[in-house]
Amino acid sequence: MTQMDTEKPEDDAPVPAEPEVAEVPIEEPPVAEPPVAEPPVEEPAAEEVVDEHAGQRLVVIKHHALVRLSHWLNVPILFALIVSGFSIYWASPVFLHKPDPVTHSRDYLADVGIAIAGHVPGAQANPSWFYDHFALGVYNLAGALRWHWLFVYFFLLNGILYLLGLALGRGYRALLPRRSMFGESLAMVRYYAGVVPMKIARRPWPHPEITTKYNALQRGAYASMPIAGALALASGWAMHKPVQFWWLERMFGSYDGARIVHFAVMIYFILFLIPHLVLVAVDGWDTMRSMIAGWSVRTGGTE
Amino acid sequence: MSDEMPQVYIDEKKLRKQSRRDFILFGAGTFAALAGFWWIAPLSSKKRIFGEHATDVLDTAAARFGFTKERSERFQNRALTFDDDVAEALYSPTRSVRTYRRSDITPLRNNYNGRTPSADYIADWTLTLTGLASGTDVVLRLPDLARLEQHAQITRLCCVEGWSAIAGWSGIRFADLLRAYPPAPDAKWASLESAVNLDGAGNPDPYYVSIDLPTAQHPQTLLATHLNGSPLAPDHGAPLRLVAPMKLGLKNIKAITKIAYVAEQPHDYWGDRGYSKYDGL
Repeated sequence: MTQMDTEKPEDDAPVPAEPEVAEVPIEEPPVAEPPVAEPPVEEPAAEEVVDEHAGQRLVVIKHHALVRLSHWLNVPILFALIVSGFSIYWASPVFLHKPDPVTHSRDYLADVGIAIAGHVPGAQANPSWFYDHFALGVYNLAGALRWHWLFVYFFLLNGILYLLGLALGRGYRALLPRRSMFGESLAMVRYYAGVVPMKIARRPWPHPEITTKYNALQRGAYASMPIAGALALASGWAMHKPVQFWWLERMFGSYDGARIVHFAVMIYFILFLIPHLVLVAVDGWDTMRSMIAGWSVRTGGTE
Repeated sequence: MSDEMPQVYIDEKKLRKQSRRDFILFGAGTFAALAGFWWIAPLSSKKRIFGEHATDVLDTAAARFGFTKERSERFQNRALTFDDDVAEALYSPTRSVRTYRRSDITPLRNNYNGRTPSADYIADWTLTLTGLASGTDVVLRLPDLARLEQHAQITRLCCVEGWSAIAGWSGIRFADLLRAYPPAPDAKWASLESAVNLDGAGNPDPYYVSIDLPTAQHPQTLLATHLNGSPLAPDHGAPLRLVAPMKLGLKNIKAITKIAYVAEQPHDYWGDRGYSKYDGL
């Protein structure tokens, strides 16, 4: 992490590099020409004899090293928290119904597993199936609790890393709400609703023009993540220490209220993941690279 | 150009070098995460996903690099004790546990892990106290306990499984028993045992928990004889059970037959089966 931390591409900027990150947009427009949408990337800039940027590349600094690190750490951490969380949930499900005479299930989550197993060749559809395939197994409460506590502290530390990265890289500015967000959100919803039909109809369907780092929907989704993380932690601690943190438990109404919020936040994380993965796949390599190496060659654009 | 997206010129070579390093770190991190999960994953899950043979081969390979089963257990248990240390730091002995109204009372399930003992044991039940300051053991019967001041409270029992129930308890304060029969001066823990506990097949399977003395002295820690106004039934630990509402249900031992005051932390039934030993709420 320390190695990644020292690697701020801005330090290599042709201006006297300040140790503080890209707060000041270090814009040195080449030869009085305003920054353009598509920087001349691939050409080795041979057309001008006096090119102070020879051998250099104009890039957009997208994510601070700590933001990138914490982003990727979230993958194993959330995976571990969710699979162990399911095994903990198995011991005492919140969402119950009358026992089903056929499957003997009384747990809606087990029903989801039974429904999935019905489409998996060779799978035995029973109430354990979900917990044996999407969790750490049935009758594994002790082991699941151990995982959960281990990764909760990782999650907490990772959240701190993320906030630190947001502050150091000034990335939080791209997440702040703004007055135009409602209109922009509608435009994005309209765009997404039409993108497939228009593709089929072979009609032009331009992406709404975005001049900010994120479009309004992305901004909302990304800005909601630290809030969801905080809610997951608060509801989790409300259940874990309801006597010491009695006020947290009160905040969620009751002990079971905290359990339901905790479950709902987990579902929200999973729901976030679906468009997140689809959009990065559609958006392409530049976006993926920007979350690993931190820079992008796109000056506008979305991810 | 928005200031959300600072543009800079970066030396091509430098950019390439840094990016290469980031991708190598990314790859190494991915490998480390996968290997780490392999190390701590339950054997049953690994066998289910990868099969018996592949699991054996990979486990052997991991052990060759020092990632043994024993170390994995020790590492994961450390996560539990770390969480316990955090809990102990958060704990305040003066903080009282929330109490409820009579109308809040909910049904309380019998969560005996094994078979519930039949009521036969209650007639000749005794409570043995050892590790006392007097140096001699004391054997108590219910009338001896009835002489101590009676207290009632409506508190919630939280189970490690995730369910909870609100119940009205009455009996004596553990603190009063400690005052009436003081433990030896070097004692720091109480080890509570139930000799009548049974396993699933109905064979004797003594249950035991450890309680630190400050928790025992908490005014809301009761040795209860009554549930919701009626004498305890065998389901709920007749004739005497611990009610420590600042601890998980599994510490609230039923049908106590012996309390030993000791200097070192005693074992816990569920602590010996992979759970935390602290269990503070």
